[in-house]
Amino acid sequence: MAIVYKMIPHILASFGIALVMFRGFSGRRSVVALTSIAGFVAGAAGAVVLFRVYRGTIPFGVIKTALGSGFLILWGVAVGVMYRSTGRGTAFIGGERFVDSSYYAGICTVISSMVAGAICMSRLPVADSSVLKVAVFVFGGGVLACGVVFAAKILEKRLPAAVTVTQSGMLAAVMAFLLMSSSSTLRLDLFSPLSMKVMKGIHDFVHQFMESILIPDHLFVQPVVWKYIGYLFGKGVGFWGGMIIWFTPVLLIVLANQLERLPSVAHVRQGAQRRKLIFAAIEARRFRLVIPMFSVIVFAAAAYQSSFPSVEYWDPKPVPVTANQAGEIFIPKQGEINLEDGKLHKFLFKQGGREAKFFVLMTPAGKLTVVLDACAICKPDGYGQAEGSVICYYCITLIPLETVGKPGGCNPVPISFTEKADGVIIDGMTLVNTWGATVQSTARVKEGGK
Amino acid sequence: MHRRRWLIHVVLRALSHRKGRTVLLLAVLAMASSLATALGIVSYSMEKRVAEEVRKYGANLIIVPDSARLDVGSGGLNFGVISEPTYLQQRQVEDALAKSALKAERSFHLRGALHHKDADIMVEGVNFSDVRRLFPWWQLTGNWPTAGEVVVGKDLADRLKLKAGDIMECAGKAQTMRLRISGIVSSGGEEDGLLFLALSDLQRALGLEGQLSLIRLMVTAGGETLKKSAASLQMLLPTAKVNEVRQTARTSEGLLAKVKLLMLMVTAVVLISAGSSVAGTMSTTVLERSKEIGLMKAIGGTRWEVMLIFCGEAAMLGVLGGVAGYLFGSVIAQFITRTVFAASAEFVPWFLFVSLGISLFLALLGSLGPMVSVFKLDPVRSLRGE
Amino acid sequence: MSSAFCPVKRERLLRMAENIIETNGLTRNYGDICALKPLDLQIPEGEWLSVMGHSGSGKSTLMNLVGGLDRPSAGSLQVGGKDLLALNEDGLARFRREFVGIIFQQHHLVPYLTAVENVMMAQYFHSVPDEAEARHALERVGLGHRLKNRPGELSGGEQQRVCIARAIINSPKLLLGDEPTGNLDHKSTVMVMELLKELRAEERFTVVMVTHNQEVAGWGDRTIYLDDGVLVREERMR
Ligand SMILES: Nc1ncnc2c1ncn2[C@@H]1O[C@H](COP(=O)(O)OP(=O)(O)O)[C@@H](O)[C@H]1O
Ligand SMILES: [Mg+2]
Repeated sequence: MAIVYKMIPHILASFGIALVMFRGFSGRRSVVALTSIAGFVAGAAGAVVLFRVYRGTIPFGVIKTALGSGFLILWGVAVGVMYRSTGRGTAFIGGERFVDSSYYAGICTVISSMVAGAICMSRLPVADSSVLKVAVFVFGGGVLACGVVFAAKILEKRLPAAVTVTQSGMLAAVMAFLLMSSSSTLRLDLFSPLSMKVMKGIHDFVHQFMESILIPDHLFVQPVVWKYIGYLFGKGVGFWGGMIIWFTPVLLIVLANQLERLPSVAHVRQGAQRRKLIFAAIEARRFRLVIPMFSVIVFAAAAYQSSFPSVEYWDPKPVPVTANQAGEIFIPKQGEINLEDGKLHKFLFKQGGREAKFFVLMTPAGKLTVVLDACAICKPDGYGQAEGSVICYYCITLIPLETVGKPGGCNPVPISFTEKADGVIIDGMTLVNTWGATVQSTARVKEGGK
Repeated sequence: MHRRRWLIHVVLRALSHRKGRTVLLLAVLAMASSLATALGIVSYSMEKRVAEEVRKYGANLIIVPDSARLDVGSGGLNFGVISEPTYLQQRQVEDALAKSALKAERSFHLRGALHHKDADIMVEGVNFSDVRRLFPWWQLTGNWPTAGEVVVGKDLADRLKLKAGDIMECAGKAQTMRLRISGIVSSGGEEDGLLFLALSDLQRALGLEGQLSLIRLMVTAGGETLKKSAASLQMLLPTAKVNEVRQTARTSEGLLAKVKLLMLMVTAVVLISAGSSVAGTMSTTVLERSKEIGLMKAIGGTRWEVMLIFCGEAAMLGVLGGVAGYLFGSVIAQFITRTVFAASAEFVPWFLFVSLGISLFLALLGSLGPMVSVFKLDPVRSLRGE
Repeated sequence: MSSAFCPVKRERLLRMAENIIETNGLTRNYGDICALKPLDLQIPEGEWLSVMGHSGSGKSTLMNLVGGLDRPSAGSLQVGGKDLLALNEDGLARFRREFVGIIFQQHHLVPYLTAVENVMMAQYFHSVPDEAEARHALERVGLGHRLKNRPGELSGGEQQRVCIARAIINSPKLLLGDEPTGNLDHKSTVMVMELLKELRAEERFTVVMVTHNQEVAGWGDRTIYLDDGVLVREERMR
């Protein structure tokens, strides 16, 4: 039952893709139907093979790369369409004829449904299940794809004939559905990493080029400027930058559609006839807008889903701990808290008005790690544990459990500790000092911007 | 011309043709949506404020002498206006705290008046190290005082034209002191009107050695635990009164809830009457304009297209009424929070959409019936003049 | 089109090309009152037909049926090759805006719109408003100097000319007039009729016009007389 529930966004996405494809290649419905089923099954099977051969992050990387390239292509197409709408025609040789062929329809459909199938499989436990079960998954996926495609075919026939879609609109819709589908999985989500990249990019830029300005008593820079530089460190920058990159292509396509020239009617003698032609063109243009506008909504849904993932985080309340006379904190492995259960366990240490939050986690490799509940670059909002990873609440970056304990980026700051047979020993002073050195400074800079 | 622009043009023409009726409808819509907006803004900003106060003070207890009246401020949490000076024994309190084994940060306060240049000024004796730790939101310009130094609240400093570095001479019951001002403090609360000096100095000056008028406790616990701590402390301190600060917040919440309820009822009545008056006005308008509607249908408008024009009028009224209602409602909200809560309301831009929504909803709902008759109207009959 | 090979249908198609309006047993009852008794009427394309009869004889009823404003109680009605009985309410509205221009006795104009805007209203329902074209139409009916005036500021004759401009703006095949000169003095009447004649020569639309005035009826090619919903007499002018 849970599996069916999990599959809902993917079924919807496949349905949407098939629907848009049928409408976009309305002359080649049978090619589209065939290729979308075949593509889905091929994608699913390929993903299964990938997941079983390479465990860990590689298969996710492959799917993410496919999605990312699709998004980049969408960007390119959007810019091209926009350029064309300004009247500077760009007819590429033979392009029109290829676009009209059924090869083109087949290729487009196969690629998009392959990605859809792969995303679907990534939600299922294909890596650890028996071969038989996996075969059932793939077969079930194929049957489901048949159902979805035929349902889409039936619905498409009932849609008003006036609703048409351009090639660019079709690409936007397909990408929107794929991204919506992928954003329901934390590890395939593109939006959060995108906004994170934007944020990091801006941080790096500031550090590279404004280091000298950041000196408080700089000769030429008013303290007010500081405030504005501070804005660049806010979470909002990454989020809004990500939003801009996320929505621009589809909005460009919408805009290009609206900027499209109306047909020339100067040769028509009768006024009523002339107006009628213009009206028909405007109506057609408006109907062409339906699918891109709908894609905007789907893009928004994807961004929303990735900003508020429907995942339950494991996030225990920090347990206060104290140090002994030697300044050492001892945390037993067994007892009230079982440190080795693979979940993160949070602790709070206070000393002389200073405090540090940290957590202990057993990585899948079976190694205990002690890290601060904060990273070196974000505001210390802490981490929660989701499937296979911990997530930084501030920047919603996923850190695979395997890499917890390694320094850098948004990884939680590692703390040196000694592991005994019955527990771990952490030096209180080190803890508080590390917290003070890495976290306090980021917290202050970021608050300064607010 | 663009069809949409034409529609708006026609709608505006129609509205300005019947100015009186348009103004009346606008006023009704603006009034209804402004009341709803005001209600929303007041409860939103006051709720936020109360929540902020609760958070700011944390889970707190205050101990005051039993006979002291705890005066509860409504919006800001001003407590401790003491009707008759009675005091707590510092010793006794410390003992009680030690006995209760309560893990709590504490801050001792003594309130009193000192004579300065022919006038009494309110003074509070505190331990500055406690204050610095427990009230981090105090903003200090200048330095924290050392021995023989004081800090002055911002309002008081403004009133007496004091600045850091000044020397002031203050006379208490028992002794007179020369005090150097080391800084000006502002907290946005009643502290701004007080002079702060070291607890022991004030006790000596007033001749109240070992006496306190207020103890603030920061107990790191909440909810039921806090209640239990308060009760156990109360047992140990029969001459004192132990209060949860949350109580005061709760009083504000209670007042807020009552005001909200009142406004909710008024708004409901206004919304209903506004809706019916919109409906009434709209149906007479449609009746009067039946010839025009019939004509539009006769020259080729479908039922939907003709209805769209009239819906457009309602929507235009709704939008204009909503914008006016938002502006007006913000003013009302300011007025209410000023007079009732002695605080200023926040500027909440997104309430514009709430106001717009309410106004649009009213306008469209009120014209639902008239729109149906527009839809159904038979052009032949209306053009015959029936 | 397989229908082209069916002899019966082809014959009907041919007939339709000649007759813009064809009625067969067209009837309209208002409850017990029979406003239009079964009527067979053919109007060839391009004809100017005058309809006369005393008050209450069913002239307006016939006009409304032919113009797609009303539905017959019985009989068949074909206008411009379209079976009006097969159209629903919105279909009739679409038929009206594309096919028919209507002029009424009380010059029904939208009171809060200027002359130009009243013409543009018809353009709006038809397709898109085009101010230049609307202005040109008003200039054609001799109202170039009255473009920005509201109906209340225009004389009866001028208002009727705005109505004519509005009626012809969408190049209709059929122009219906329900006593368009009923409220006008002699001079205005002549002016309006001259104008209609001129426009018909250019645009070649069919005219069906109800009138009480024998002289006005004389402008047409043919006159039919209705009495109590029955066609009693037919008179050909030329
Ligand atoms: N809506 C109606 N309800 C009832 N009777 C009607 C209606 N419209 C017209 N009639 C009747 O139908 C007859 C024909 O009316 P009409 O066609 O308007 O006559 P006229 O030749 O004067 O234009 C009249 O007797 C009139 O009373
Ligand atoms: Mg009549």
